[in-house]
Amino acid sequence: MAKITRQELLKIAHISSIELHEDEINPTLQQLENVLNYAQRVQEVAADVRSENPSTPNGYAGLRPGSLAVNVFREDVAVKTDPKPLLKLAPDGEEDFFVVPKILDN
Amino acid sequence: MNTLAFATITELQQKLASKEISPQELLSYYLDRFAKYDGEIGSALEIFDKESILKDYKPQGILAGIPGIIKDNIAQEGRNLTCASKILKNFKATYDATATARLKAQGALLVGRANMDEFAMGSSTETSAYQKTKNPWDATRVPGGSSGGSIAAVAAGLVPWSLGSETGGSVRQPAAFCNLVGLKPTYGLVSRYGLVAYASSLDQIGIATRTVRDNAIVLSAIAGLDAKDSSTLPVEPTDYTKLLDGKIKPGLRIGVVENAMQAEGMDSEVLAAIEQAITTLEGLGAKVKRITLPMMDYSAAVYFILSRAEAASNLARFDGVRYGLRSKASTLSQMYCKTRHDGFGPEVTRRILVGNYVLSVGHAGEYYDNAKRVERLMRREYVEAFKDVDMLVMPTHPIPAFKFGAFDVDKLQMDLQDYFTCSMNITGIPAISVPCGFTSQNLPIGFQLVGPHLSEDLLFQTAHAYEQKTTWHTRNPKGF
Repeated sequence: MAKITRQELLKIAHISSIELHEDEINPTLQQLENVLNYAQRVQEVAADVRSENPSTPNGYAGLRPGSLAVNVFREDVAVKTDPKPLLKLAPDGEEDFFVVPKILDN
Repeated sequence: MNTLAFATITELQQKLASKEISPQELLSYYLDRFAKYDGEIGSALEIFDKESILKDYKPQGILAGIPGIIKDNIAQEGRNLTCASKILKNFKATYDATATARLKAQGALLVGRANMDEFAMGSSTETSAYQKTKNPWDATRVPGGSSGGSIAAVAAGLVPWSLGSETGGSVRQPAAFCNLVGLKPTYGLVSRYGLVAYASSLDQIGIATRTVRDNAIVLSAIAGLDAKDSSTLPVEPTDYTKLLDGKIKPGLRIGVVENAMQAEGMDSEVLAAIEQAITTLEGLGAKVKRITLPMMDYSAAVYFILSRAEAASNLARFDGVRYGLRSKASTLSQMYCKTRHDGFGPEVTRRILVGNYVLSVGHAGEYYDNAKRVERLMRREYVEAFKDVDMLVMPTHPIPAFKFGAFDVDKLQMDLQDYFTCSMNITGIPAISVPCGFTSQNLPIGFQLVGPHLSEDLLFQTAHAYEQKTTWHTRNPKGF
């Protein structure tokens, strides 16, 4: 069974850059555990693949069966675009820059 | 003019060609229908004004003068693009998605932006930050999701076709709930340039229409290689209607996926309707074989892990710096965290958290790596299955459309709504959901035909032949 501690959840929220309010923590913990408990069933069969492909680090490298995808290469050419329409979408900006709150607190 | 409401693209093309109606009149007719009925249904987040829809319209192409609606995660230049999220409330697309551009080049008239689950995360369109969309067949029930707005608009006769997007079944499931044909094309057949990414190894633009032929027409307009999306396949422009003659391929072999048919929770009326559809396909000459795909029983778990992991990465870009919502805060990192808390709804937040959990040190081996391994097993299982049969038949969904709030308490059961549909997204193969009956409560039922990579022409041919033998697709909801 997946068991997530409050501290683990807060760490994941920090990594995700999402604030969690006190009243959101317990319901979120419960919902995450439900999904993860269900998802754990992948372990039942995953071991078969790993033992088949001992030479690849994770057992899933290389082309996937049935896939038609191939690597696509193109020239690395800069395309000139007008930045103004994009800059206009910014919540805050000055000339050709995005303006953000200060990085360090006083 | 009421006969126009539920007309097919093919019928509208004839009316336009014979000058019985002009494209401007047709557009006005549908815009009036939105004004009259969409207050109740809630399919559209915005309907554009007539003048701006007709701007740059050229009466040429395979969709000339035919109105349609686009899910609000596909860019339309100069229009808002919100993904039904507060975080993108005032965001305007600065370019057209390739699918949008190709539709315009084929003369289509794009009337608005369709409601959806926030960032396409959901199976009922209930996670939209803006509004609920009702199922035109029963207003107490959901239209399905995440492309619920796109599907409800067509089902209520407000437009003849729509684009949605599919990550785990988001076009096929609502199509089944609303008596429409819903296509999830092969991964790489339709460009995702301009489609807001949810889970990039799974995402694909899909199509909802009343009939199989209409679906093939819209796919013909948007499919094929695109230099702007390196994941597109080298497919030339194709006329997907060319095989639609009411017959199936001689000697067609169909595999019925027994472990789907016998799955726990299958509704008996849904099962009976699909068995009837199989009998109809046999009557058309198909050779039917019962098979099992044991790996399908792991598909929802694989889907949970891969989709959340990719979403956590893809949605990192919404940070309040360059566009969208920005919450007030005194430092940059506080601004990120507050903006994302305030801008994302609870479902999106949960998926990002699960995604970063399954990718994090100490857990990636148990979850993400194992899911990628099982993905290989699923792919191999389909490759093997298609050595014996040309296509598969299975339910699109185990139950008909459910009531609003049905899964508010048990979110896991809502997540499991993708059980029969997500394995095609994981493996990249195409599938089409086709109407095949109604429950005793008059709720639509659909089944899906599933084929190997790039077998859309064969799926359309078979689905069309089936459709010609039935009348389900000719039924429309009352009151519109």
